[in-house]
Amino acid sequence: MNPSSLKSRFATRFLRALTQIHARKPICPSSPTEIFRRYRRIKAAADKSMAYSVRSRRTWTGAVLWKLRSRSCGRRSVKTSTLVKSQQAIEKKTRHEKQNKNTTTTTGGHGVGFGVEATASELRELVPGGEAMDYCNLLDETAHYIKCLTTQVKVMKKIADFYSL
Amino acid sequence: MLHRLESLESCNYNGMDVAVLERQAARLKWQQQNYVVQNNNLVELCASSMPQFQGLIGSNIGSGQMVQLKRPEVFLGSGDFQEFVNFPVAGAEFGDSEKLDLVPPEAAADYCISRTSSCQMTALNTSVMKEEREDMVLEKMESTTGSGRESFNKRKPEAVADHKGKNKRIKGEGESEVKTKCSTEISRNSSKENSKASEVQKLDYIHVRARRGQATDSHSLAERARREKISMKMKCLQDLVPGCNKITGKAGMLDEIINYVQSLQRQVEFLSMKIAALNSSVQFNVENLPMKEFPAYVANFPAAAKLPAMAGLPYFQLNPLQKESVNCMLNESILPAQTATEGIASASVSISEQSLSSSSMTQLQPFSTWNMDPQGSSSNLTVIFHSSSIVRVEYIRIWHLIRYTPDTDTS
Repeated sequence: MNPSSLKSRFATRFLRALTQIHARKPICPSSPTEIFRRYRRIKAAADKSMAYSVRSRRTWTGAVLWKLRSRSCGRRSVKTSTLVKSQQAIEKKTRHEKQNKNTTTTTGGHGVGFGVEATASELRELVPGGEAMDYCNLLDETAHYIKCLTTQVKVMKKIADFYSL
Repeated sequence: MLHRLESLESCNYNGMDVAVLERQAARLKWQQQNYVVQNNNLVELCASSMPQFQGLIGSNIGSGQMVQLKRPEVFLGSGDFQEFVNFPVAGAEFGDSEKLDLVPPEAAADYCISRTSSCQMTALNTSVMKEEREDMVLEKMESTTGSGRESFNKRKPEAVADHKGKNKRIKGEGESEVKTKCSTEISRNSSKENSKASEVQKLDYIHVRARRGQATDSHSLAERARREKISMKMKCLQDLVPGCNKITGKAGMLDEIINYVQSLQRQVEFLSMKIAALNSSVQFNVENLPMKEFPAYVANFPAAAKLPAMAGLPYFQLNPLQKESVNCMLNESILPAQTATEGIASASVSISEQSLSSSSMTQLQPFSTWNMDPQGSSSNLTVIFHSSSIVRVEYIRIWHLIRYTPDTDTS
């Protein structure tokens, strides 16, 4: 395994996060709420470690991290200055992208068929941060997102297999 | 200069006015200052193809060959481009060659091919271009004389054009697409000499070549460029998504991509749920994990040997497809431990299926400590084993889901 590959970076980060999750809460008997809560934390940890593990910062990574932060901060209802700044940065980015999207779709809108636009909007909902991108960039983001998701699934599958043993 | 233009007029050049020429020259100059340049590689290509081009242009080759032109301008986003494109062509096609929109149409095929290739127009270049354009037009006129030769001396070298079909170069894709065959199509009667080597500046271009019979206005060219980009990206996506080779068409591909992304996201959820559920029975110490070592199989693990009764446990997989099913499962009452034995028996059935997925075992990281809490885990076991029959059915579905092979032949 290449020590600096996406897979290994994600694996180390995710395992560290898992240990933290375990360390935080004692292993109590499995009540469904407990498990559900842990599931949410594990999923958040997986997404976060994936977003941090990519070398080139992408739109979807920013969107994922922003969602996670806003969700956690919303619960605590405390906004730190860093969070506000990051939110503003992301808002500015999405605004900028929306402007780009407007300009490109006006000129190139008829190039893509109408039916394709419907599925493209569906894709936008799936890919985080996809709402504010034009079609070309959306396809780029989707490709990168798929690649990262497959890595994530592989690593998590191995971890889960190991746990189940 | 004026007398040349007058002669031009008299020659009934297809509706091109001198005034129009001058206006277009002025506009061109303005445009060129606004051009965006993009493609670096093209310059080297042009430089490399120059010598061949120069060699070829001196001879009177037949109609089968074409000179390769480089378009110095970026066509996308230029509103006035249409006029520029139409300038030398004046709307007619020439001979049987479809590529050159820039070549002035002339049935007698006396036309000059070369154009400057510099994109950043300095004042000098613009003046040169002006002259070239006039010269270009004039070439048609000077059908039999070789006097056009010197007019080409000022020309800058030209560029590379694909003589068939579209040729679009974007940042770095250019090299693979550019066909540097230097076929020259020269006027039949006069031998043109190519200009000297270019002061092609190291600039980037987006070159778009319109196919025969297609519109050449800037909007459709931009559209075409965009569509090309999109189709290239779709091809990359096709490589990423398994089982997409047979699907043609954008809509089908998009649906496939959407399905794949959804399935991947669901897998992540399912796996994190699984880890959450299974983690309750084990503790582990991750800090001591060396990255490069791969553990032996768990069967060799010392802790597993201590608990023979739990031997069935490792091969059991928790199979809820969604969180609701997990909750249902775990909400069931905890059964007494007698069910553990039948649970193990049924669990062993899934061992064979499990072994299919255990190829990933070799790459797991070692856990340095392994603490099994018998009491805690047995209660989990009973809960899990109670629904083992349901689980088995689910397992097969999930197995296919995880594999995600749309083709059934690989199962």
